[in-house]
Amino acid sequence: MEDEWTLVIEGDAAPGIIAPFAAWRKKPAGAGVWVEGDAEAEEIGPLVAAAPVVAVRFPAIVDGRGLSLGALLRTRYGFVGELRAFGDIIPDITEYMHRCGFNAFVLPDLEQAEVAIACIGRMSDHYQASVRQPKPPFQEPTTRRP
Amino acid sequence: MYQYNAFDQRFVEERVEQYRDQTRRFLAGELTDDQFLQLRLRNGLYIQRLAPMLRIAVPYGLLTATQLRALAEITRTYDKGYAHLSTRQNVQINWPELRVVPDILADLARVQMHCIQTSGSCIRNITTDQFAGVAADEIVDPRPYCELMRQWSTYHPEFDWLPRKFKIAVNAAQADRAAIHVHDIGINIRAGDDGRPRFDFLVGGGLGRTPVIGSLIREGLPEQHLLTYLEAILRVYNRYGRRDNKYKARIKILVRAMTPGKFRAQVDEEWEHLRDGPSTVPDEEIQRIKACFVPHVYEDLVDETQLLARERLADPAFNAWMQNNVAPHKRSGYAIVTLSTKATGVPPGDVTEEQMDAVADFAERFGFGEIRISHEQNFILPDVPQKHLLAVYELASEQALGQANVGLLTDMICCPGGDFCSLANAKSIPIAEAIQRRFDDYDYLHDLGPLDINISGCMNACGHHHVGHIGILGVDKRGDEFYQISIGGNQAKDASLGRILGPSFKRADVPDVIDRILAVYVDNRLDGEPFLHTVRRIGIEPFKAHVYGVAEPSAGEREGPAPRMKEPPALRRAG
Repeated sequence: MEDEWTLVIEGDAAPGIIAPFAAWRKKPAGAGVWVEGDAEAEEIGPLVAAAPVVAVRFPAIVDGRGLSLGALLRTRYGFVGELRAFGDIIPDITEYMHRCGFNAFVLPDLEQAEVAIACIGRMSDHYQASVRQPKPPFQEPTTRRP
Repeated sequence: MYQYNAFDQRFVEERVEQYRDQTRRFLAGELTDDQFLQLRLRNGLYIQRLAPMLRIAVPYGLLTATQLRALAEITRTYDKGYAHLSTRQNVQINWPELRVVPDILADLARVQMHCIQTSGSCIRNITTDQFAGVAADEIVDPRPYCELMRQWSTYHPEFDWLPRKFKIAVNAAQADRAAIHVHDIGINIRAGDDGRPRFDFLVGGGLGRTPVIGSLIREGLPEQHLLTYLEAILRVYNRYGRRDNKYKARIKILVRAMTPGKFRAQVDEEWEHLRDGPSTVPDEEIQRIKACFVPHVYEDLVDETQLLARERLADPAFNAWMQNNVAPHKRSGYAIVTLSTKATGVPPGDVTEEQMDAVADFAERFGFGEIRISHEQNFILPDVPQKHLLAVYELASEQALGQANVGLLTDMICCPGGDFCSLANAKSIPIAEAIQRRFDDYDYLHDLGPLDINISGCMNACGHHHVGHIGILGVDKRGDEFYQISIGGNQAKDASLGRILGPSFKRADVPDVIDRILAVYVDNRLDGEPFLHTVRRIGIEPFKAHVYGVAEPSAGEREGPAPRMKEPPALRRAG
């Protein structure tokens, strides 16, 4: 659970730093970038594709915009680095984020991180295609049928 | 009826255990009220004014007798012996204890039911024609497509945290019994030139504070694209719908702000990325689901025209019931029966455990063990042999389910209102009851003909007041309950939104006001003209004038029978 990255809400980009998008664009080398959940995937997607880390801020539990952004970065802009969720996050929500392509979550403590891992593994199957499951079950007859 | 396979069953069972763990963590103080709120909403649990309320999903209004008995048992075990049929074809119970809700969900899962996404800002239960699969005027059976969309929308990774709740309705018959013009997405299914189903999409309709009729954004979509096209709409909404103001967060506001043309263009652009992708539905999957909805093995019956004529002649009450509560079936010798829950003195949609058990029995004795719930909050027996209609009528009457008022004034749509709901400005059930008490003369009701009165206790419009021929909305005026009345709304194919008559009224005056509106109608109607058409023809002004006392109706010009009142007007003014 140790984090090799330091996220700065404001400030310059540098190696090991996750910086806001505007700062990151000036000095992307070795740096990560963070964006708000309502960032335009069409604008940032092509630019951040090569970043080692993209962090997406979720301003509230109920705000699902970052889920669409994550899914788009993964499926449409080919982002393969670390996709990190931070902000107002509870363990139960990480499962949605995980299915939308996030693979790192900033949670308040180790206990919550363990709950999150349990949440992510709880459901065996899902009805839809997602970043984690590129084909819906009806395209995979063996998983769908009893 | 869709039958769960091992995948579906495991899914609901795991979802129950997930919720059990969430409840445990909440009770242990590991989740705050606000955090747990969002999780319980997605399993249908509200904390209401008096007690929690659990909303049980009845996908597109379809139930088996076994499921209905299980619901009766749940109200016996965990509740006070009654349940409420909602305007989204769901079932609500009003007194479950928060800590036992996981047990209720487990009981539901045993009969292939759940409470998933019956509340919260997510895709809600998909509704359709309560006569789907049996209606004489049906073009395509919508149920397999509703099920396909139910599965797609269940626990969707990207669309469970939308700006606001999201309601989809489907119609596939000549008449629109699903109110598709006033839904976030309304889908009309019809037959294409090649005989294959084609889907028309209306988007951005809705009631609430800003009632809007949906805009047609796509015509003739073939079935395999259904899910990818929905995904495109939902993605545009999830990304761009407003989240700063819950009253402006529904998709209708986004569609209007962008204009329907630009919204469509954006959806099309998104869809270009998704179409023909992995979520394109293969024909085998459509056939798999369709196989659950194969027509029952009907007997070769003939229409019982003569028998029914004799029975109707012998019993005027049965005659009235036949006229209003029985719809034509696509098979000869069968009929579709609506059992009205709207008995005077009972909140619309409330049903007891005994009634639920009785309806389950009727469905098995006089059908194939299936029941529907309509968005008008009634039960439907979809496959009654015509020769048994009289027996069904008599048995239903013993259970206070024989009211012959379907589609008439006393068959009101009504939300739970201020008695139960913490959002309401005003009570709605007592209004419904006062109207039912005032107008309980069947002859007068039949003379008035088709008349929808829809009552909502607040702007959220759960009682669909905008599309009632007469709509009643509870409003709060400096802490007092008042009621605003509109006329001319309609939920059917030629949908329209009601226009507000004028300043609102005190609760005690509402039956009088309805009386005055009806007097203007009776005075002005042409031969056989229903209320809605008269309103459309003569406009709102004559009604306004009479209701607000500017002019009295010209009594000498009445056509047809004069309205019969329970009490003379002078007495009704008291209080």
